[in-house]
Order: sequence, then structure tokens, then C-alpha cells
Amino acid sequence: MKLHPVEVISRERYGDHVRIQYLWTGDPPQPGQFVMVRAAGHGLDPFLSRPLFAHDYEEGDVASLLVVVRGRGTALLAEEGSALLVSDPLGRGFQVTEDGPVALVGGGVWVSPLKLLARSLRRRGIEHDVYLESPAAASGAYLGFLKENFPGATLIETAGGTGSAVFLDWVGDLARYESIYVSGTAETLAAARSAAAGVVPAQLAVRERMACANGSCYGCAVPVWAGGEMVYARACVDGPVFEAAALAW
Amino acid sequence: MVTRTTDLAVELCGIALHTPLLPAAGTASAGVMSANADIFGAVVSKTVTLKARPGNPPPRVAETPSGMVNFIGLQNPGLEAFVQNLGNFDSGVPLIMSVAGDTVGEFVGLCRRMAVEGRVSAVEINLSCPNVEHGGLLFCAGPESVAEVVAACRDALPGKPLFVKLTNEGVLRNSLAAEEAGADALTLINTVPALTVDARERRVLVKGGLSGPAIKPVALRAVYEVSRAVEVPVIGCGGVARGTDVAEFMLAGAAAVQVGSGSFAREPREILGEFAVYLGEMGLTARDLAGALGEAKPLSGW
Ligand SMILES: Cc1cc2nc3c(=O)[nH]c(=O)nc-3n(C[C@H](O)[C@H](O)[C@H](O)COP(=O)(O)OP(=O)(O)OC[C@H]3O[C@@H](n4cnc5c(N)ncnc54)[C@H](O)[C@@H]3O)c2cc1C
Ligand SMILES: Cc1cc2nc3c(=O)[nH]c(=O)nc-3n(C[C@H](O)[C@H](O)[C@H](O)COP(=O)(O)O)c2cc1C
Ligand code: FES
Repeated sequence: MKLHPVEVISRERYGDHVRIQYLWTGDPPQPGQFVMVRAAGHGLDPFLSRPLFAHDYEEGDVASLLVVVRGRGTALLAEEGSALLVSDPLGRGFQVTEDGPVALVGGGVWVSPLKLLARSLRRRGIEHDVYLESPAAASGAYLGFLKENFPGATLIETAGGTGSAVFLDWVGDLARYESIYVSGTAETLAAARSAAAGVVPAQLAVRERMACANGSCYGCAVPVWAGGEMVYARACVDGPVFEAAALAW
Repeated sequence: MVTRTTDLAVELCGIALHTPLLPAAGTASAGVMSANADIFGAVVSKTVTLKARPGNPPPRVAETPSGMVNFIGLQNPGLEAFVQNLGNFDSGVPLIMSVAGDTVGEFVGLCRRMAVEGRVSAVEINLSCPNVEHGGLLFCAGPESVAEVVAACRDALPGKPLFVKLTNEGVLRNSLAAEEAGADALTLINTVPALTVDARERRVLVKGGLSGPAIKPVALRAVYEVSRAVEVPVIGCGGVARGTDVAEFMLAGAAAVQVGSGSFAREPREILGEFAVYLGEMGLTARDLAGALGEAKPLSGW
């Protein structure tokens, strides 16, 4: 996997979340695409690069990522002063139709790709509502981040655990939307899939562990329906965004 | 960039390779291989089986110190679907087909098909898979089992080189048995059985095969021991991630070298570039390296 050294412009902390901005003059990322990232100067330790959604991209060549530190790999990425190596934008993102209104639904760090999606919908004049999970345990800094980055979004308080299903209840009648685009916790994705079934087309941003990120290794298997049969698609090239109805969860 | 002044060419079973670096089976898509045909001496397909295999349920990969464990389960569309798309491998360098079966008969069927497939220059049989006729014992579990499948494949593949890919366990005895049964080359090594555990979830994360730099010393030892014991060429594989790794395998006795997981973390192009720089600095060609390894000697001057 080809990685490019990039100039990191800023690292801003919002509670557990870190927004990393870097200069990017390559192909513009499409909403729902991801990049492979590693911290420079650490050789091959950790061995694999880390997949992260393209969070935002502005004219003026500034790309950004939104990261939560989970283990050593993300800790190195979030570290102040750490130089980064970043791939080209990868995978198949959200497939946006021309018709609105649509709903964007997300929670946790997974709200990341919805920022770029909202930007692209705005530019294309497609009417959209944004619903974001606001867990009881979330830091004030993170909620501030949500309000600043998703102006006009409806923040829905959830208690965690069974919160996601409740959260979708709050979104209300899904049939009033042409499409819904979801990037949230595993529970939210599952809840969205069942809530949307037969009501509205839904696209879900799915995560799976990755190694090559270019379709070579078949490591990132996602079960999908193909002609009535369950087969494993690859999150890195067939996704990471999948039609909810196609997922064989 | 690879300096074209450096002589990287080698020969393997009569096949001219413009560089000694090949992709390891199952680690490079047809697209990735085509894009790298200028740096790979040949391309190696993912292992193909007679019938389609769905592969294992996720999670299929887990990172480890200096490597990874995979549990892919040979996901592939099966022989006929694969052969229909063989054109995807027309990259200007020779194609080595990796195949595996559940039975000796399946291996034979696959080899017969490859024998008549004009695009295929050689076949690599992946013996790290269970023989369903022998209670699921791996084909590479012992010399008798290796000899049986290799002899049958050798007969089924007239006119084309047969590469036999083995795992580390019992590698010397298995290699000798494979050579005796007609193998034209040995690919050493496949992944090493391994387990990763998620302590917080108190669950197995991935039970599968370890690859990457973690297994390089194991693979080097296998190549070193086996290349000294057999006449046929050995293809080194396991943990290649930088240019000097390629040199180390060739010094240890490999005629060509495969890169697998290393190409997930880096670009094979960079690895070959470093290898060319090494050769340039040493004033050597790739062919000069073949087994040109001195014995260990006490360090002095420290
Ligand atoms: C398509 C995609 C997009 C993602 N986008 C984001 C994002 O925008 N922001 C963000 O913070 N995180 C994102 N993730 C998750 C992120 O990749 C993991 O949190 C990260 O890899 C953890 O690495 P680590 O070294 O900190 O943790 P460790 O647990 O030490 O990682 C060990 C290994 O497991 C893998 N791994 C662990 N958790 C995950 C996970 N949830 N998903 C995939 N692989 C995992 C790591 O890549 C690594 O190989 C995304 C994952 C995918 C697949
Ligand atoms: C994701 C993955 C898939 C693999 N698939 C195959 C395969 O289909 N056939 C095979 O013979 N070996 C397969 N292998 C083993 C590699 O070809 C190689 O022998 C092993 O990974 C050691 O080399 P490395 O350390 O350079 O990865 C696979 C390895 C990985 C990591
Ligand atoms: S990560 Fe290798 S195929 Fe998707």
C-alpha cells in the first residue's frame, strides 16, 4: 500500500476525540471513503496501517480525520508532533442520489464520514436532516464538537446499550426520507438496518479489521447477499459503505 | 525507483525472471500484481480450489508483534470461474498458479487443467490444507503424504514446473520427499500455526497462520537447511519487508523470494528498490547472492 508523507496542520482534542488536519493535494476523498494511516518514524511497529474514515475535505487542500484512541496505533496517530503517512482515499463510499430529503444518522467517532457527506449534500443542494447520538456519558467537549461541525443537527440523548434502537425511534417516520445514510456503533447500524427494511433505502458505513486495504488479502470480510446466497464481500473495496438490504447480518 | 543498471534477473526452473521478487500466494490481487509487473519477476495467483470456497467468517485478521495472523479460509470462486478471468493476469510477466485440493484427486484435476492453460507458466501446490481422505490431516503433515500428492501432480502437469509449497513443521523431511517425488522447486514457508486472544473479551480473536517479519528467522532457517539438502531451487517466503530481507533469503539459498504481508505494510516497489540499492553498494548482481553465505564468526572490533 502506497502511503504519502503529509504535513499535519493541527491536532485538536475534543474529549476522547482528536481531529487531525493535514494537507492533501491528491485525489479528493469522497464521502464514506477511508484512508490507511500510520505514524512515521516507527518502522513497521505496529505492523499494519490503521483504517480511518475521511472526515472532511475543504477546498484549499485540507483533509481531516476524527480519531478516538483505542490502542497503540491510534495513540501514535494522536500524539502531538507525530508525522503521518496517509494513503489515497480508498473504498466505495456513500452513493448519493439527486433526490432529497435524506437523513444522516450517526454516533460516536463514527459520525466522522457524515461531515464530508453533509458538505457534499449541501453543495449539491440536497435537503438533509442530521441526527446524532448524544450519549449521557459524552464529554461536553465532544458535544460542542458535534454542534460546531453539524450545525442544525438534532442531538438525541441516549443512555448507551439499548440506546440505539431508541435513538432511531427519535428519528421518526423514516418513510419521509428518500434515503438514509448511517455511520454509528454496531448497535446503531443493526437497528438502522431493521428499521429501514422495506421502508427506505439505507446505506451503512461498515467497519471490519483490515490488512491490505486494496482487495488483496480478503481479510475484511463482510457477509452480503448475492443472488439469494450469502457471500463475503471485502469492506475495503466493495465497501466500507453497503446497502443495508444487501448485508447478511 | 529501481535502478535499471542493477542486474536483478534470475532464472527459476527455466523461467526467466526479470527480478527475483514475487508476490506470495493470496497476498496480491490481480490488479495489484499488474500494477507491479515491472518489479515482480512473475506473479502468483491466490490459491484456487476445484469448487468455490466462501471463506471463513470474520474476524479473519489480527495484528501481532511484527506480523499478523490470518484465517481467510482460501476464499476463491473455484477453478472454472477463476480460469475465465485468467486474462486479468496478463501483465507481461509469467503466471504461477497456486492450487489446493481436498484430495489427491482434486490436486490432480487442477494440475491437468493448468497443464493445458497457455497462460500458466508453473503451478505451485499449497500443501497446507487438510486431506479429507486422511481424517483432515494436512497434506504436508509428513513425507509419505507429501510424496503421494507431489508424485500425482508431477504426472498431471507434463511440460510445466511444479512448485511445492510447505509449512515449517517437518520442512526438511517433507522437502526431501517432495524432491524425490518430482518437485521442480520448493516454496518455503507457508504461515506458522498461531493464535491471538482478546483478553478483555476473554475470547479467541483469530486462530490461523502467522506471517510477517515475526516468522522471517524461521523461514530463513528453513531455506538455509533445505537448500543445502536438495538439488532443486528453493523459493524463500516469510517476513520479507525490506530490501535486505530479499538479500538474506538469497544468501541463505533461495533462487527467488516472495513477499506477502510485508506488502500490506509497505510497497513491494520500495522493497525491490532497497534490494537494488544493496546490490549496487555491494557491487553484486542478484545471481551472485545464490547461497553465498559464510558461516557465523565471532564479532571483533566492537
Ligand atoms: C473503514 C474503517 C473506518 C474507520 N474509521 C475510523 C475513524 O474515522 N475514526 C476512528 O477513530 N476509528 C476508525 N476506525 C477504527 C480504527 O481503525 C481502529 O480503532 C484502529 O485500527 C485501532 O487501532 P489501535 O492500534 O489503536 O487499536 P488496537 O486494538 O491495538 O489494534 C489492534 C489491531 O486491530 C485492528 N482494530 C482494532 N479495532 C478495530 C476496529 N474497530 N475496526 C477495525 N480495525 C480495528 C487495528 O487496525 C489493528 O490491526 C475505522 C475502521 C474501519 C475499518
Ligand atoms: C492474508 C493472507 C492470505 C494468504 N493466502 C494464501 C494462499 O491463498 N495460498 C498460499 O499458499 N499461501 C497463502 N498465504 C501465505 C503466504 O503466501 C505466505 O506463505 C506467508 O504469508 C508468509 O509470507 P509473508 O510473511 O511474507 O506474508 C496467505 C497469507 C496471508 C497473510
Ligand atoms: S483488507 Fe485486504 S481485502 Fe480488504
